[in-house]
Amino acid sequence: MISLVWKIASNEWRRLWHARIPALLMLVLLVLWAIAALAAHHHWQDHANTLAEVTQSSQQDWQSQPDRHPHRVSHFGDFVPKPLHPLSVIEPGILDQSGHLVYLEAHRLNSANFNPATEATSLGRFPLMTPAMIVQWWMPLFLIMIAYATITAEKMTGILAFMRGNGIPAWAIATGKWLALFLPLFTLLCLQASLTLAWSWGSDQVLLRLSLMLLAQAMYIAGWCLLVLAVSWFSRQLHGALLMLMLCWVCVCMIFPRGLANLAQMTYPTQPRTEAEHHAEIKLKALGDSHNPDDPHFAAFKAGILKKYQVTSVEDLPVNYHGLLMQEGERLTTAVYREQQALHDAQLNRQNASIRHWLWLTPALALQYVQMASSGNDLAHHQAFIRQSENRRYQLIQYLNQIHTLKVDQHDDHNTRVSADFWKKAPRPAIILAPVLVSRDSIEAALLVLLGWILIPGVLLIKVAKRT
Amino acid sequence: MKQELILLLKQRSILIFLLLNLLLTGFSLFNGWQNISHIQTQISHAKQEEIIRKQDYLKQHSQHDSLDVGEVGYYVFHNIYHSPDEWSFIALGNRLVTPYVQRIRLLGLQGQLYDGESHHPEYVMLGGFDYAFWLVFFAPLLCIALLHDLKASEHQAQRLLFLQSLTAQPALFWCQRVVSRWLLIALTFSLPVIGFTAIHGLSLPPLLQVLVITLLYTLLWTWLCAAFSLRTRALNANLNALALTSLWLLSCIVLPNLAQLWLHHRYPVQDGSQIALQHRQAVHGAWDLPKTDTLTPFYALYPQWQDTTPITGRFHWKWYYAFQHMADVKLAPQVAAREQALMQRDQSSSMLSYFLPAVWVQRSLENIAYSNVSDLLAHRQRITAFHTQLRHDAYPYLFKEKQFTTESFGNMPVFENANK
Repeated sequence: MISLVWKIASNEWRRLWHARIPALLMLVLLVLWAIAALAAHHHWQDHANTLAEVTQSSQQDWQSQPDRHPHRVSHFGDFVPKPLHPLSVIEPGILDQSGHLVYLEAHRLNSANFNPATEATSLGRFPLMTPAMIVQWWMPLFLIMIAYATITAEKMTGILAFMRGNGIPAWAIATGKWLALFLPLFTLLCLQASLTLAWSWGSDQVLLRLSLMLLAQAMYIAGWCLLVLAVSWFSRQLHGALLMLMLCWVCVCMIFPRGLANLAQMTYPTQPRTEAEHHAEIKLKALGDSHNPDDPHFAAFKAGILKKYQVTSVEDLPVNYHGLLMQEGERLTTAVYREQQALHDAQLNRQNASIRHWLWLTPALALQYVQMASSGNDLAHHQAFIRQSENRRYQLIQYLNQIHTLKVDQHDDHNTRVSADFWKKAPRPAIILAPVLVSRDSIEAALLVLLGWILIPGVLLIKVAKRT
Repeated sequence: MKQELILLLKQRSILIFLLLNLLLTGFSLFNGWQNISHIQTQISHAKQEEIIRKQDYLKQHSQHDSLDVGEVGYYVFHNIYHSPDEWSFIALGNRLVTPYVQRIRLLGLQGQLYDGESHHPEYVMLGGFDYAFWLVFFAPLLCIALLHDLKASEHQAQRLLFLQSLTAQPALFWCQRVVSRWLLIALTFSLPVIGFTAIHGLSLPPLLQVLVITLLYTLLWTWLCAAFSLRTRALNANLNALALTSLWLLSCIVLPNLAQLWLHHRYPVQDGSQIALQHRQAVHGAWDLPKTDTLTPFYALYPQWQDTTPITGRFHWKWYYAFQHMADVKLAPQVAAREQALMQRDQSSSMLSYFLPAVWVQRSLENIAYSNVSDLLAHRQRITAFHTQLRHDAYPYLFKEKQFTTESFGNMPVFENANK
């Protein structure tokens, strides 16, 4: 039986080869792939260079600070670039849209800034050609062009009836044809994966990330192969098969992904940043004002400090009271800003949840989610980056405030300069790319959808195959 | 002609295609409109809040009818609005990413100008479902669907020879067929736009432009498809469909991508982060320099203030704002170079758009919607002008130590938004 299936597959390849156009289309696909890979690599390198430059000059600026007052240093702040995974060369995801630099500063919550999308010309509104896009859009399209006729033609010429009459079971024909379509594309996917693996060897979680990506890609393409076969088996006319498949492609790849994202944005619109800042200010005002001597929160804080050091007035404290106030203030503002950030994240996550709810409509978007997650360029990774840099900011600022408290004489606060050695020793933990599991929600949903994407066309194929 | 139209509309698949297009064109317009009205609501909300916030500040910080101008400059934020135009819903363009409300204070501008907006990055990546997107990508597909088998379908039904022998002027006959299809396609794109204009009472000149763009673009694709499917040997409908789809891919995705690659290669733009880093260095470095290092070049720019009282203490607000401004001045050549490169990119893309119809449509619609990079640059110019206005308003109080009264607070400039 296996040899029969294999024979059917080989015959299909022979037919495709002799028809010339499929072979030509395959060649075109490969050329496009090469273009996309080159373009993506160029894009990646550009980005990686920028990040390297920023990391280097930010580090240099920080280390070369002279003796300063600690509070000046905490306003000098620190720039943190977003880490980049080499797999971004396959799927840049939100790289151009999310902003790649955060400025960490005392009592401010700054956004991730500088995204090329803002300054793009109209050309930037066209979908970017990347290797991921080739798999997601173009492989199915070329597959349709190559194979829409595969069974319809045999139905029309009577070969199918002849084969069935000779006792070849429908499932063997279906499997043979499916293998004939799937294997070459799968080989291409494996080739891409192994080339990428060699290129990005040793990067973070590369095996897990790459195998996730390959798994999703293979499932996606397998589903398309099944769909093409099912429609081709179902149709009586070549033309009908082609139009139906094209329509499916347009809906799955172009209309639904954009449509879903837009519907989600429409139902759960995001608030502008200024609004969030404004809310944070209102909350902060409610918490207390350190400049106001009658403020209950800070009066209690002061009493607590005086009691702790067993002195009667701030002047007698062995440490710098301003530094202590700064620490307390930073603690309060950070809590508020984090709350605000959590609200914002919740808004975005609600949008994503609503997209996930309808994800079964478009396996293309499901695939894109897995690809973005595995290349570290999806929302979850971005949010993890923002959280990490916020932690770093808080640690750094509190360290500086501590130096302010302990090393700056409060009677000559403004004129004191603290040795630059303290900045060199400051805690600035490296920002690392979050593990791929931060995107678990979207990966799970996407893989489930892709599984359905194999099952539904599979069932359809079995049904139509039984009829003949 | 009438018969042709009736014949067309009697085919169920064509009717479904057309109705679907009508529906989704309507959706694209509605979606664009929702996006824009969300922006507008947020802007008007922010405008009210700005007034309240400033009044609050005044209430809390004014003592005996006067305020510290330095603190006002540091703590009072002024809102900047990037208001959409009436027709912005037609192409959302870069409005998906640019902040529509921004806050500016008297500090160095370059440290504030590039603040991002908290949009959903994945949404921006997938792109807006606006009329421009729908027209650019789907008008060609609809044309292909309706026109690729003009001759082939008749051949398939074995009517082709019959038809050609019956009609006196075959050219006229085919022409009618093609034009009737074009009319239907163009109508399904324009009717929702016209309806939308009527419902919302929008201004007419942009409507005419949008209609002309739509008609031209659909006409071009109709012509391409017709030329291709009326060739002498165009008897294989599938081959036509494949070839035309490839053409669509080429013109809507491959060529714009290649053009963008070339553009970025030809006009490299320094990453904005470099500006931010240097700006910080300039601002904070000034604290450690002698005050004259800042003030001498500043007074060279503003000689009217050079005879003011010299600074003797450790800190004076006028020195503080002078070095903030000098950081901007120091970076001005780089900022100008960036702007220049962006402008060049924009101009080149406009030149390229004459060869790439899809790009031309996208660009023209974005011009109508004021949502292109040139509008972003113009907006940045307005922000710069406003910032200058703010500085010039504050300088007499800073340098002449004029009293900053409640009235002066009320007279501070407010960002006036005008889109053109």
